[in-house]
Amino acid sequence: MTPGTVLLEAQHVTQRFRLPNGQNLEALRDVSLVVRENEVVALVGPSGCGKSTLLRLFAGLARPADGKVLYRGHALDGVLGAAAMVFQSFALLPWLTVAENVAMGLEARGVDGAARRDAVARAINLVGLDGFEQAYPKELSGGMKQRVGFARALAVAPEILLMDEPFGSLDPLTAENLRSQVVDLWRDPATGVNTLVIVTHSVEEAVFLAGRIVVFGSNPGHVREEMANPLPYPRQERSPEFEEMVDRLHAILTATLLPEPAPAAPQRLVPFPRVHVSEVTGLLDHLLTRPDGKGPVFELAEDLGVDYDRMSAVVRAAEQLGWVTTPGEIVQLTAAGREVMAMDDAARKDVTRARLAKQPLFARLVAMLKESEGAVEDEEVLADLTIYFPFIPAESLFATVVEWGRYAELLDHDADVGRLTLLGWEGAAEARVE
Amino acid sequence: MKPLRLPHAPPGLADVAILCLLGGVIATLVAFAREFQAPFAQAVQIDLRPAALPRYTLYSLSRGVTALVISYLFALAYGWTAAKSRAAERLLLPLLDILQSIPVLGFLPGLVLGLMALFPARNMGLELAAILMIFTAQAWNLAFSFYNSLKALPQPLRDACKVAGWPPGRTFRQLEVPAAAQGLVWNGMLSMAGGWFFLMVNEAFRLGDHDYRLPGIGSFMSVALDQGNGQAMALAIVAMVIMIVCVDQLLWRPLVVWVEKFRLDESSDGEPELSSWVLEFLRRARLPRRAAVLQRRAYRSARRAARPLERPFRSVGPIILRGPRLALEHPIARWVGVALALAAVVGAAVLGAWRLWGLIAQLGWREWGQLLSSGALTFARVMAAVILSTAWALPAGVLIGRSPRIARALQPVIQVVASFPAPMLFPLVILLFERIGIGLGLGAVALMVLAGQWYILFNVISAVAAIPQQLKDATAAFRLPRLTRWRMLYLPAAAPALVMGWVTAAGGAWNGSIVAEYIQAGGALRATRGLGSLISEATAHADFPLLAGGIALMSLVVVGWNRIVWRSLMEWARARFGYAQ
Repeated sequence: MTPGTVLLEAQHVTQRFRLPNGQNLEALRDVSLVVRENEVVALVGPSGCGKSTLLRLFAGLARPADGKVLYRGHALDGVLGAAAMVFQSFALLPWLTVAENVAMGLEARGVDGAARRDAVARAINLVGLDGFEQAYPKELSGGMKQRVGFARALAVAPEILLMDEPFGSLDPLTAENLRSQVVDLWRDPATGVNTLVIVTHSVEEAVFLAGRIVVFGSNPGHVREEMANPLPYPRQERSPEFEEMVDRLHAILTATLLPEPAPAAPQRLVPFPRVHVSEVTGLLDHLLTRPDGKGPVFELAEDLGVDYDRMSAVVRAAEQLGWVTTPGEIVQLTAAGREVMAMDDAARKDVTRARLAKQPLFARLVAMLKESEGAVEDEEVLADLTIYFPFIPAESLFATVVEWGRYAELLDHDADVGRLTLLGWEGAAEARVE
Repeated sequence: MKPLRLPHAPPGLADVAILCLLGGVIATLVAFAREFQAPFAQAVQIDLRPAALPRYTLYSLSRGVTALVISYLFALAYGWTAAKSRAAERLLLPLLDILQSIPVLGFLPGLVLGLMALFPARNMGLELAAILMIFTAQAWNLAFSFYNSLKALPQPLRDACKVAGWPPGRTFRQLEVPAAAQGLVWNGMLSMAGGWFFLMVNEAFRLGDHDYRLPGIGSFMSVALDQGNGQAMALAIVAMVIMIVCVDQLLWRPLVVWVEKFRLDESSDGEPELSSWVLEFLRRARLPRRAAVLQRRAYRSARRAARPLERPFRSVGPIILRGPRLALEHPIARWVGVALALAAVVGAAVLGAWRLWGLIAQLGWREWGQLLSSGALTFARVMAAVILSTAWALPAGVLIGRSPRIARALQPVIQVVASFPAPMLFPLVILLFERIGIGLGLGAVALMVLAGQWYILFNVISAVAAIPQQLKDATAAFRLPRLTRWRMLYLPAAAPALVMGWVTAAGGAWNGSIVAEYIQAGGALRATRGLGSLISEATAHADFPLLAGGIALMSLVVVGWNRIVWRSLMEWARARFGYAQ
């Protein structure tokens, strides 16, 4: 199966959302991507990088704020009829039976009567759900429900199958089983499906399924890199070629998630990663137990049981505080990191305070607080964060700032009044009540 | 020690506003207390001049707020008892269910006569009766809400309080009430609206040849209607709207925003941010913080002053308390206590039933026939009202609930509109109907729609707004035609809430029938056959056997229908259309 004509195309697509608090969040910026006939394309990247947003744009469920989405060269107008979609949360209507759910897409295509019954029976048979036609979704396990999701998509014999983390809410065993079936379905000419686009979180999944892997970066979402995966199907997960491909994707993702600092970077305002204090100390603790205090980021993620983009956020926070360095994929505990772990709690807080005060975002906040006699209203800080980081939800960044500020006894926050205060500032004393 | 900073500004506008409000509240309380103590007089003159209206509005508001305070106290006690004791639960829950569904308005005459006998010389009896009637429209859902919150409290939280050795009082104050705060506030808002429903009747009604009137916005309206004074009617409606909007903005909005912090589940993602300008304003004020400091100081000095008494009290206290404690903790004593309480309840119930039977027994075959045929008529009207309400509120609710933006913008407006007591509009609607040639027989159905429609609308809106985004995406991605989308997604998703709405809407319509089928407007009486009009008529003629029969029949029909039809419909809808996967 060689890639053929261009089916779907995103041209310089930008997408924005309005959050309930009024912030305009940029989810995608200037994304261009092509999906060809007979391809399996995987979209991977950290959460919040807009990969699911792009999938919804391809499906025609939303319109881009800027740019164009084309199907076979024509601008998309409304929902794309040539595609069907599989959802992470299955999205089955709980009051319809399996057969009725599977028949959902047929009405719009004018498939009626016996033809509809045939199409439903065929789709149910393809995913191996025979006998469950009259069951309600609540009677099925997660894996079974997602089979219904696939059957519903296959019933309309779509040209393109769009999948939004279809195995994300399944247990690993079920996910693995369903994954190989998806490859079989794609290779089976009887299904009519010849092109797949899958959004996934899992590196192994992307390498197992896709012929081309598109890596997204975040803040705002953009395409970082594309990687071709020429391994022949069916793929063997334990083969050295497969492992090598996984390592290559790891390297690309690391470069995306843990970029090398630009030489002589000016004091640019970098956001502090939205991670908890305990996660950073947990990482340092774990590194201490390793020989030489180092390890590759994907291995750390696996050992600690967190996903890689969370892990890399924790690593970035530790790096901003000077406790680890990241040469390539390797996370290395620094001397300062070892020192801080040997300290008692009070000393650790002192060091953290000193380090945070140098972090550009915190430094800016402290300056702002000093200017206004040690206290600033929440709205003012939030407005500031929104301006500097338009692609990060300001409220969650604010919560991180408050948590770290409190831990380091640098800042305090009065949630009742909605005010941020600077600790240890001489102006604060005179404003104290009683 | 964290520094507590004050705003930089000196006492400002916010503080002045708070002082003014405080002054207004005190003045209102004093005036209301005086009204309470005033000597009783028949058919008090109601001043229809606009200048008198603010005072009347404040009187009515005071009655509503007093009733609400009593309702809260009742709800806390009732809900706590029902949640704590299995035996009490078995008795109190069905009782609450019945109390919630019977037409309490029918008990007004008995209540007034009883209380008037207690306080013959003062207004107090009449005032208490009015307040109690408002209470009966407010209390039940609050009690239900508190009971449900207590039952839903996670066991680990309870265990934590036990491990910490908190006495029940502290657990109540710091765990149980805060955990229930959100439900209590939301239901308080509904209760307040429900309490206004019979305002006109509560403040001005005739029992035989007695004419009882209390100064208030309801009696103002009813006198204006009697005299056919259009200007005064319009003024009363405007005053009512202003009062509802003020209560909403000054009391409920800030409370709703404030109780957000007592949420038990911490995931509030995607919920629209609530805000209240009044609360923002108050938070800027300096006075409340000063007051908090003063209060802390006063508490400390009081403790200091009481210190000499502390030691003797500590040694004597347990001795004094030993008796009651023994009585509470000893199994036999407890058993006796429960038996006594039960006997009291059963005794009261038996006595009440006996009295009721005594009245009903006086009814002859002819009256029974009359009661049953009017009952059937009103039943038909109630069902017609429910169907008509559904016909507009279901599509409207789906349309509004489908778009979070529209729902967010319209919700507060609808809330205020729905709080307006529909009976105040009844006479105007009827006059309008007469112009176009519709009689009260059919017109009453429209009035009952006015009384019940909002419950359906609210329930449908919130159910449709709660549909998960991925389900909406799925129906869009598979290009379901519009009609199919309604049939497969919106209507099933709204079904359980719709049935819920029917239950309350039918209840509202039954209640409404009492004032919708028997109307005094423009100085003339309009009545149509029906159970509601029979009850009103029996009240007007002080025909107590017929009144008792009418009330008993209506209660029976409502409770029976709830138990048999609505409940099974609800169970079916939940099982068939619930999301639980």
